[in-house]
Amino acid sequence: MRAEELKGHLDALLLAALEAGPRHGYAVIEALRQDTGGRLDLPTGTIYPALRRLEQAGLIAGAWSVVGGRRRRCYQLTGAGQQALAGRRAAWREFAATVSAVLEGVPCPDPA
Amino acid sequence: MSGPGLITSYLDALARQLPGQVVEELADGLEETYRRHVGLGLAAGEAAAAAVAEFGDPELIAAEFARAHPARRAGRRLLAIGPVVGMCWAVALVTGRAWTWPVPMAAGIVPGLALVAVVALLAVAVRTTRYRAVGRAGAAGCIGTAALDAFMIIGVLAADPAARWAVAVAMIASAARLGLSARLLRPVLAGNG
Repeated sequence: MRAEELKGHLDALLLAALEAGPRHGYAVIEALRQDTGGRLDLPTGTIYPALRRLEQAGLIAGAWSVVGGRRRRCYQLTGAGQQALAGRRAAWREFAATVSAVLEGVPCPDPA
Repeated sequence: MSGPGLITSYLDALARQLPGQVVEELADGLEETYRRHVGLGLAAGEAAAAAVAEFGDPELIAAEFARAHPARRAGRRLLAIGPVVGMCWAVALVTGRAWTWPVPMAAGIVPGLALVAVVALLAVAVRTTRYRAVGRAGAAGCIGTAALDAFMIIGVLAADPAARWAVAVAMIASAARLGLSARLLRPVLAGNG
């Protein structure tokens, strides 16, 4: 799966990758790689600006630490980030159910 | 080029465009990526080449950071509310018959030229993909907007002390935007590193 196909979904994927606990940029990338069985084809370097954007939006919080003599920035979900992730999940389920209803003939679940 | 040499050269390319803290974070990720490839059995040079390829084009990364720069958001917000504040001042100056005020001609021309410069700076902050240019233009745009608002408030108070309601509304709008510019400036300066 290429970067352009992920447009609009990358933020939700990054938030989900941080749901289990604080991670640094590379660990986020590894989590995405493992969770998708290596199907994500993203230039690794573009994950970092996306993390910065989420941090500026207050959805994640970053903090520096020193590991093995190198400075490392770790991120964790904020309360607003957890709420945003829940909202993205709900929106995704509705979107997937709606598209599946048309493409695969799977009946849409009752919205109620 | 040797493995470490390739990584150093790659980080140098990033450092020419991005602030030190950003490069430090990328360097940590690149080192982890390199170690993963070494762990998978690649020789040092191959692992470095694979890590650099996996990270992507430095120009692309710098452009993505430029898009994420707080100056981008600041520029968008100030450009979006600019016409509203401008309209308030247009109504205030026309209804107050500003052309009859006893002020030197320069007092009318200078704010107009400053406005054009500020809009141009904010447009650069919103459009360019060069990180440092985004940050500098955004900071200058925020400062310029605040200075322009302060000039208008003080200048019009001095020229027309019997301010009418339209002038009062324009001053409130300018004061609010001045506060917003000051708030937006802080993250922009932090982003500039």
